[in-house]
This record gives sequence, structure tokens and C-alpha cells, in this order.
Amino acid sequence: MERTEVLKNINTIFIEVLDEENIKLTENTSAADVDGWDSLTHIQLVVSVEKFFKIRFTSKEIQSWKNVGEMMDCIKSK
Amino acid sequence: MLFKKDDRFEKTFTISDSVYTSFIEVFQDKNPLHTDENFAIDKGFSGKVMHGNILNGFLSYFIGECLPIKNVIIHSQEIQYKNPVYLNDSLNFEAVVVDIFESVNAVEFKFQFKNAEAKVVAKGKIQIGIMS
Repeated sequence: MERTEVLKNINTIFIEVLDEENIKLTENTSAADVDGWDSLTHIQLVVSVEKFFKIRFTSKEIQSWKNVGEMMDCIKSK
Repeated sequence: MLFKKDDRFEKTFTISDSVYTSFIEVFQDKNPLHTDENFAIDKGFSGKVMHGNILNGFLSYFIGECLPIKNVIIHSQEIQYKNPVYLNDSLNFEAVVVDIFESVNAVEFKFQFKNAEAKVVAKGKIQIGIMS
């Protein structure tokens, strides 16, 4: 899957989980940039991303992400 | 992770008069479907229909008290009601682990409640978190 497609799919997941249609993620987007992206929502986002891409992360991996781009790197590496 | 995919849990719940009246006392939902026998029969049911959310109370009990650990929290749940439940019905509850997300310590169960005739009266999914 192309990187742009990965980002597009992650964006759709964020819109659904956060129930916010105006989200436009970039690779530099971090939790501080998105209203509602808190620790509890983060769990739902990770679960939804794992389900969608049919992959599993480790807790070490998700703790290392600083922005959406690093999440994408991790997805692409699976 | 304490749970494994396909782990299965079972429990029997009864909608006793005490459960029914306590639910009404606490939440004050006295809609005639739940409280007026004639009204419910007129709508095609066999008697007063129990509140669907009583089953959510049983779900809460299952997660909070029946799992092998207590450090759990409900993240989300969805439930579909398939058939009516009546006073004094005994319901067989079954939950199965369908997914595990170790990265965030989350477990997803599918569950169903069946009545004495083995009809599914409600089913759904519930996701819990295991707190450290």
C-alpha cells in the first residue's frame, strides 16, 4: 500500500473514532494537534488501526511514536 | 496477556422481580411497555417487556465480577436486542474472546444472551482494557 493511501486510511479511522469530519492529518500531526486525541481515544485509534491493517503493534512501538508519520512507518514495516 | 483468543465464559442471569423493580426505582423508566401488562400484550408481546438495559447491567456484572482479574475497565460496547425478555426469564450468557490487542492491553469479547428456548435475545461486542 502506498504511503499516501496509508495516510488516507488512517485519516478515515481518525474521523470515525473521533467523530470529527474535519480532521486532516499530515505526517507531522501529533496528539497535541488534534482535539480529542487523548490517552483513552488513543487506545481506540490503535485498536482500529490494528484491525483495519490486520497488523499488531507492540506497546514499545506505540510508545515510540511522536507523530502520525511514525505510526505510518510502523504500519509500513509490518 | 491473561486472556487467549476463544476463551469462553458462561453465566446464568435471571430477571427477578427484585432486579426489575430496582431498575425502575433507580432509573424511573416506567414506559407502559415495561409496566403495563395489557399495553404490552396489545402491542403483540406476551407480557411486560423487560428493559433492554437490564442486560447491560448483567454485562457490567460479568466484566466487573466474573473475569479472573478485577483490574479491568470497559472501553466500549454495542448491543443488539433480538427478542423480548420477560419477568423471571432466565438468560444464558456466553462471552468469547474474539480479539486481543496487547499493545494497548485491550480485549474484545463477543457475547450473547439466550432465553430458556435457546433464542438469542441480545448479542453484541464489548471491549475492555486491562489496567496495570
